[in-house]
Amino acid sequence: MDNFNPVIVAFVCNWCSYSGADKAGGQKLDYPANVKLIRVMCSGRVDPQFVMQAFREGADGVMVLGCHPGDCHYRSGNIKTLRRFALFEKMLAQLGIESGRFKLDWVAAGESKRFQEVATQMTETVKKLGSLSIRGYVESEAA
Amino acid sequence: MNQKKIALFLCRCGANIAGAVDLDTVAARFKDKSGIALIATHDLLCSPAGKKFVEETIAGKKPDGIVIAACSPKMHEKTFRDVAGRAGMNLAQVTMANIREQGAWVTPDKNEATQKAIALISAALGRGALHENLEARSMECNTDVVVIGGGVAGIEAALMAANAGRKVTIIEKDISLGGAVIKTEEVGPSMECAPCLLAPRLAAVRDNPNIRVVSNAEVTDVLGFFGNFTVRVKKAARYVKDSCIGCEACFEVCPVSAPNAFHLGLGAKKAIYTQFPGSVPAAAVINRAICKHFTDGSCDACVAACPFGAIDFNDGDESLEFTAGAVIVATGFANVNPSSIPALGYGTLENVVTMPEFERMASSNGPLSGEIKLKNGTAPASIAVVHCAASLSEHGAAYCSGVCCMTAVKAGELARKKIPGVTVVNIHDRLVFEGPAAQEFYREQQSKGTIFCKTSDLAHVAVTRAGDKLAVSAPGTAPVTVDMVVLSTGMGPSPGSNVMADILDADCDAAGFFKPDHAILHPTGSTIDGIYAAGSCASPCDVPTAITRAQAAAGDALAKLVPGRKIELEIMTGAIDEDKCAGCRLCIAVCPYKAITYDAQKNKSIVNEIICRGCGTCAATCPGGAAGAKHFTNAQIYAELGGVIHG
Ligand code: FES
Repeated sequence: MDNFNPVIVAFVCNWCSYSGADKAGGQKLDYPANVKLIRVMCSGRVDPQFVMQAFREGADGVMVLGCHPGDCHYRSGNIKTLRRFALFEKMLAQLGIESGRFKLDWVAAGESKRFQEVATQMTETVKKLGSLSIRGYVESEAA
Repeated sequence: MNQKKIALFLCRCGANIAGAVDLDTVAARFKDKSGIALIATHDLLCSPAGKKFVEETIAGKKPDGIVIAACSPKMHEKTFRDVAGRAGMNLAQVTMANIREQGAWVTPDKNEATQKAIALISAALGRGALHENLEARSMECNTDVVVIGGGVAGIEAALMAANAGRKVTIIEKDISLGGAVIKTEEVGPSMECAPCLLAPRLAAVRDNPNIRVVSNAEVTDVLGFFGNFTVRVKKAARYVKDSCIGCEACFEVCPVSAPNAFHLGLGAKKAIYTQFPGSVPAAAVINRAICKHFTDGSCDACVAACPFGAIDFNDGDESLEFTAGAVIVATGFANVNPSSIPALGYGTLENVVTMPEFERMASSNGPLSGEIKLKNGTAPASIAVVHCAASLSEHGAAYCSGVCCMTAVKAGELARKKIPGVTVVNIHDRLVFEGPAAQEFYREQQSKGTIFCKTSDLAHVAVTRAGDKLAVSAPGTAPVTVDMVVLSTGMGPSPGSNVMADILDADCDAAGFFKPDHAILHPTGSTIDGIYAAGSCASPCDVPTAITRAQAAAGDALAKLVPGRKIELEIMTGAIDEDKCAGCRLCIAVCPYKAITYDAQKNKSIVNEIICRGCGTCAATCPGGAAGAKHFTNAQIYAELGGVIHG
């Protein structure tokens, strides 16, 4: 699996996380090219269906990145995201997708270094998990 | 519809992109792809020459859309939307592929960077092919302003808007303007006379033809939205006509009086009264609850005494309605009541007063005409001031108000002015002074003789009776025996603020103050567009901050509501497909802006596109796929997803 090159999609909100990635770019903080961004105005726009669609299309890992709780440009969009994905994460295991393949996290516009770390770490994690194959019910994780 | 033809522009960005991404390989990859009108590579698309090139290419080749593979949309999306607009293309048909910040600059391996650029461009092409035109939208607006609350902040906001030519209505629940500040004697740290500071502002309000003051009145309803509010008001009967000039001739003949809120209950006013001479409005008011004309019909002495024939026993309550583009809430604060901490003795021990009551005693317009007195009528020889009374406590205000230390230190200055030789001891824990002037005032009070004692445990300060004096014990410091104890209380939300917030549909924070639209970027905006929170209704503050907030609120409203100019509206709003909406209203529950309403007759939710800011949370929540987000539709996002994954 050494040369496994995972596909990782990150849904990022326009105001914080997209800007954080832009800042990482400005500072030339490189991160694996596996991670590709899709911009939404707010993390609150991210429907769990988007994440499922990403897996279906061939993504091996999916991230949703938004403003830190309390900092959402639209007041509380990210709180809705947080609630929505807390449930979703539980269901993933039921669907046979390891929890490590999905990550909801917060990256502020100034956190370029953090963006680099989150992107790099996610790539590492997914590399270890290998390419996604829906294995059915993951008993050890469906607590 | 035929497949869209999209022009793809690749920017070398000097060597920034060209050095890290093989643009020839990129161009070759898309050369034969269907839906591509043309591919052009340029040294620097954002340069004047580059923009001209894009504009001419659009005008000449007439593609249906363009993809600019260059830098971040945050950098130049607007630039190229403008360029496209000049060439007659709708702004929505411009899509950026961020191959610099997300590619060239972060991917050292040229082959990887090239492949990533291809994926990002592919995503942009896929999404761009599905873009629907977006129309810039604007709305006519009402530029008048309603100010709720006539304290210093409300007055300031009203004057500012009125001086800019706007019609302003101030709704005040008391019988005249002035709020909390008019009840104080001096404003620290400069110790300027509060009524003197306010008097010219009050006169300016009175004389401004653009301002209407509606006092003795309450807001009952606020309908509408930014640029178009209707404010309903109930104005209580005054029983005195506007022709009253406040000459006070009737006060002398009025036979009854009662404790008055203007004096914080420390003194009485007649049944016909004004708050203070020179109030705005000047007219007196009759307290119907005690006036003998109303209680037993036995008196109409004021009628004969009035030189202006202003008494009107037949006056009744009135319902009024005002329209405005913006509403500025300046409903102030309430002093935290320290009786919730029994050990402090407030309400149970004589001569234990709050700092606002102490200031009221010292006030020239106060119940004791400016004399600080004990209950027995003599002046206190010693005073203890307890800081943070009922603050930083779950039984009072859980927070530090940030301004009461300044006021508590002022007690010594006020006392020494009125009572020569008085001893003043301030018992405190942490002292909070904002800025050099307040800090300097504190040092000055130390040198003038105020004794400062630091306690190690504020929660265990206790006041007890000691003969005809009061003993104050505080852990970590020697007990003191004094004639009077002044409790320095914090600022809490005014009692009606949650009701007001409900009426406005705005939110309050956990402490009960109006929540800002954005704590850092838009602190004077409430959570509802076009409704502002000025002064201390937003959070505890001193007078200069209250004024600054009022100016900020009025300034923001003035800048956004300009006569003759329409309000620019968000173009990427949410949208609800009526045919699919089942009326479940989940979208209403999640909308951070209350931009969605429910039409009960149709059983449908409806987006108000004037209020919506386009976050898309409703779209992600809707279980029936009825709610969508313009320019971020599911289909567009899926197309983008396909691009980034498959290249
Ligand atoms: S705008 Fe960043 S999470 Fe809402």
